[in-house]
Amino acid sequence: MGGQACVFYGAAQFSKDVDLALLASEENFSRLLAALGELNAKRIAVPRFDPALLARGHAVHFRCHGGEADGLRVDVMTRLRDLPDFEVLWARRATIRDEGGETFELMSVQDLVQAKKTQRERDWPVIDALVEAHYRALGGEPTPERVAFWLAESRTPERLIGLAQRFPAEARAQSSRRPLLSLAFSGASEALREALDAEARAEQAKDRAYWAPLKAELEAFRRAERKGA
Amino acid sequence: MTFEEMPEEWQEWLALTPLERFRQSEKLFAQYLAMGGSLDPDPDPTSPFYDPETSSTGAAYGRPGLRVLRRGAV
Repeated sequence: MGGQACVFYGAAQFSKDVDLALLASEENFSRLLAALGELNAKRIAVPRFDPALLARGHAVHFRCHGGEADGLRVDVMTRLRDLPDFEVLWARRATIRDEGGETFELMSVQDLVQAKKTQRERDWPVIDALVEAHYRALGGEPTPERVAFWLAESRTPERLIGLAQRFPAEARAQSSRRPLLSLAFSGASEALREALDAEARAEQAKDRAYWAPLKAELEAFRRAERKGA
Repeated sequence: MTFEEMPEEWQEWLALTPLERFRQSEKLFAQYLAMGGSLDPDPDPTSPFYDPETSSTGAAYGRPGLRVLRRGAV
């Protein structure tokens, strides 16, 4: 997931870290820790590695030391806001195989878009790019699921207006869930822009509310570690 | 921004296959590191992981040995 997945999907050119969404199981945690051990990865921030903290939505941050991965940061999560359990994410994943048979398991673009709906300003242009890249790649082969995705997640007034013209029945049907789609029929790009902005602000507020108790915990962990250092 | 409005560089990027993008990204990443690029996270006060006490703006242009000798007007 994260920036590396965005590279595959066309929404980024490179990423400075690796973000992993992980199945929370004892066996899997053992494998993760063994892999991190091979990379000589050390935790670089709070919280400590603890499955219970991961289950509450925390991320654990590591940095690799030595070898090809020297300096690389690896972030691990098992739960993401408003995303289903790992089993569902895994079932919906995209798999890419290279010429040598190596496979890359990526969070689906739909789930990645949801994961990017954060309070961080820089994540929002990435959503725009993810959806636009998907439409550019598959716009010629629309399926009901793809049309629903474009209508639900496009963040460009011009694209939404174009989609409403191209798929009017689907846009009308979806406008109860995404009211700003009704603005696309009239071609009101400035009103659409404002509605998109309000949509992002509302989602950012939800993310801040989700993270508020976790941030308080992070601050307490930091204080405890500084005290113990 | 729609695809049609994107700069040519981004249009070319999207014209690649996912695997081609990954390979190109590996090259860009290697160049970034060769130029002294930092792997520290960019300071982002809007991130829930932002810690003002440990976050730094990083070395000038990434490489630890580089120092800013002259700045512009702003």
